[in-house]
Amino acid sequence: MEAIKRKKIKEKIIENFFLICAFVAVVSVLAITFFVFYNGLKPFVSNSYPFWNFISGVEWRPGSNMYGIFYMIVGSIFGTLGAILLGVPIAILTAVYIAEMADSRIGKIIRFAVELLAGIPSVLYGVFGLGIIVPYVLKISPMAQGESLLATILVLAIMILPTVVSISETSISAVPKEYREGSYALGASKIQTIFKVVLPAARSGVMTGVILGIGRAIGETMAVMLVCGNPIAGIPTSLFDQIRPLTTNIALEMGYASGVHQELLYSTGVVLFVFIMIINLAVNKLVKTKVGS
Amino acid sequence: MDNKVKFNTKNLDLFYGDFQALKSINMEICENEVTAFIGPSGCGKSTFLRCLNRMNDLIDCVDIKGEIIFDGKDINGDIDVINLRTRVGMVFQKPNPFPMSIYDNIAYGPKCQGLKDKAKLDTIVKDSLERAALWDEVKDRLNKSALGLSGGQQQRLCIARTIAMNPEVILMDEPTSALDPIATLKIEDLMQSLKKLYTIIIVTHSMQQAGRISDKTAFFLMGEVIEFNETPKIFTNPDDKRTEDYITGRFG
Amino acid sequence: MTQKIKDTIVKGVVYLATGITLCVLLFIIGFIFIKGIGLINWNFISRDYNDTTFYAFVQESNSPTTLDEKVQENKSDYDKKYETPLEAPVYVESIGAEITKVLYKNYTTEKEQFIISYISKGSPLLSAVNSNGTSIDVSTDFVLESVNGNEFTGMSTEEVKTLINDQSGELKIKMVEPGGGIRSNIITTLYMILLSLVVALPIGIFGAIYLTEYAKPGKIVNAIRFAAECLAGIPSIIFGLFGMAFFVVALNFQISLLSGSLTVAIILLPVIIRSTEEALKTVPIAFREGSLALGATKLQTIFKIILPCAVPGIATAVLLSIGRVIGESAALLLTAGTVAQIPGTLFSPGSTLTVQAYYVTKEEGNIEMACAIGIVIIVIVIILNILSRIASDKLNVFNKE
Repeated sequence: MEAIKRKKIKEKIIENFFLICAFVAVVSVLAITFFVFYNGLKPFVSNSYPFWNFISGVEWRPGSNMYGIFYMIVGSIFGTLGAILLGVPIAILTAVYIAEMADSRIGKIIRFAVELLAGIPSVLYGVFGLGIIVPYVLKISPMAQGESLLATILVLAIMILPTVVSISETSISAVPKEYREGSYALGASKIQTIFKVVLPAARSGVMTGVILGIGRAIGETMAVMLVCGNPIAGIPTSLFDQIRPLTTNIALEMGYASGVHQELLYSTGVVLFVFIMIINLAVNKLVKTKVGS
Repeated sequence: MDNKVKFNTKNLDLFYGDFQALKSINMEICENEVTAFIGPSGCGKSTFLRCLNRMNDLIDCVDIKGEIIFDGKDINGDIDVINLRTRVGMVFQKPNPFPMSIYDNIAYGPKCQGLKDKAKLDTIVKDSLERAALWDEVKDRLNKSALGLSGGQQQRLCIARTIAMNPEVILMDEPTSALDPIATLKIEDLMQSLKKLYTIIIVTHSMQQAGRISDKTAFFLMGEVIEFNETPKIFTNPDDKRTEDYITGRFG
Repeated sequence: MTQKIKDTIVKGVVYLATGITLCVLLFIIGFIFIKGIGLINWNFISRDYNDTTFYAFVQESNSPTTLDEKVQENKSDYDKKYETPLEAPVYVESIGAEITKVLYKNYTTEKEQFIISYISKGSPLLSAVNSNGTSIDVSTDFVLESVNGNEFTGMSTEEVKTLINDQSGELKIKMVEPGGGIRSNIITTLYMILLSLVVALPIGIFGAIYLTEYAKPGKIVNAIRFAAECLAGIPSIIFGLFGMAFFVVALNFQISLLSGSLTVAIILLPVIIRSTEEALKTVPIAFREGSLALGATKLQTIFKIILPCAVPGIATAVLLSIGRVIGESAALLLTAGTVAQIPGTLFSPGSTLTVQAYYVTKEEGNIEMACAIGIVIIVIVIILNILSRIASDKLNVFNKE
């Protein structure tokens, strides 16, 4: 009996050890939230920099104690929005082609291409943007430099392609065959079936892909940093204006910042974090409704 | 002459959430006999079988009431489940050999109990395969993957694997339903020879099979045992009308 | 009829979109290869990024007094990428090597220097030692700066030859081993992969085991799943901020290999948990039942039956993780730094391939080198892709039965 008890205790201990391992994920999220918020809210709590000036300011001049990120928020949103408007239609149509129209060999090749695109590190997109997109933008731009909102949008649009394509493709492929057969039986053409029956049926999956794409675009740092221009002030008013998204603000100056300057970079992170959390919650909700229906 | 009672269930109820799958089962199962459970799909016969070595523990939200006395102890009480399962082995509907060699499949159970002696393991593997009438077919490829065997051979391997634990009872959950008639016949022959050593309880879909191999038969319907008696009696002169209807093929 | 036209137009749009996707990929890969291929050679892989200056102690000798004409024709090319010869090569007998005056020009500097363009077989340079007495590998392309304290700046090749030949006894030559390579970045990347996997793999696998084998649906499981999803959604710059605040500052690990790999380990967790979970789910329940019915404990079942079956899936997790570490840059920028060196200890900084690609682009405008690094990365990514495909085919074996 003693041996059995020991065996049971051993099993219980190991089970709890597994639980602890699983819990590392939870602890990490809590720790990340805590550390970013703790450092990021410090300047506002201790009143070393007024929150309103931070959130509404349009100039970031650490030298003269001006830390406004409003123009960065605008830049981030414009960049993301533009990338979604440009990239999502292309991505969804590509997914439609792979899932519905391509024969299996070509489909495989394109799928491999998309996977490869997903595997390329973001820095290389930035290098590509700087080497090809920026010079071309410069050719048509009235400004003196090619680094711009437009270049950012183009790079981000390319970067969200693989995410949106692969998730949309999965959910389009998951639409039951009966839907298609039902539509064909009513005399609809293939194209009509795809766009009027299959795509609407795959809607929630496609939406999940789009939202994940938004998440990727808004959180992207290294690629954007090379092509956006990173100005110290100014709300972008045209596609050729330079922008400074929230992410690059952090990455550019974290290396040498100290004191309030550093804390306000964490505050920038907090703002970014809030954006991302909203997106995460949206994904969570979408996935749940999908399961519910 | 009556054999010793091996399993004795008293007022056994089983619930899946709100659904009552077994209703007040009272049954005595005797040693060294083949007991067959028959009945239409979803009547609770497999569920009952899985109670006997507590395989239902694996399923969430199962609630069991009543007693199952095995050798004088209630197995739902404070007993060692692992020990119970070494004494009450089980063979499943679909052959489920592990993706390892034939030898390792047989040696798996003893190894789990801490047996490391290679010579002893060798003997166990040989004995078990011989008793399962598989030795001659596989003795030259003990180190080949078990997944390469035919369905019937795989099922006999699973029986051999169970025998290797030297259990007192072998539970069989429709062991031949995935097999062809010839493989089925071999397994049925095997059961006849095994019953001298073990108590065998078998769930089967085929009434002919129950008639051919079992000493006693229980007829399940909607979670209840309608009739439990000597097999010849059940098949020739059942007490209950519903049993007769089922046996004669009027429903099921 | 109109429906047909409409369909054709829509079809055309779909083809166009797919075409754009494919073109973008080809364009990017093409750009990176065309720009970077010129730099790819053994030196690029085997050299450090920074120049290394050192003193070589050479025993003067007169062994091969002249250079064999035939050898001269067959000698291997020196690094022509950045160097233009200014004067004809000259053979220096006392060190058994040929030197050439070249104009060196890269993205940041432009200077005249003397390089070793050929080393003969019996050259004393081959048995050179450093100030500690350990032998060093002197090879062609090394830059000569001074001998016994006499600088070569402003001299002609003949003058340098005379200067060297005039010295006697042991020569103390100041040399520079040229940089421009990515050896240290490759090694840092390997360290980073290894360390982060050592931390994240066990935690991720055991966590996944808990979720699939033990957890009953409820609040704890929901919390864990939600956390894993959140982790997957957090952008890497936020991980960088956290790593900086926690590992670098709070735990005082400094900007280092350790801080970087721990930060990356957290990034890897959701990847490993998810793919291990998928793999564990593909293991048929029949195996679990069979094992338990034989009297195996749950742990025995997990470690002897389930985990071995899930090995291909775990391999996929490892491959995905490697890809993730290689691709990671923003988080590492803040936690492991941009110093192109081989980290000597866990607490020294080092830059991985991607961070280096960023660094040379941003700080030096050296797109060529970034693309050359890109080629190395893409080749690795393709290999990982193929390997993970093989692994997932292996995993599907159970499902086909």
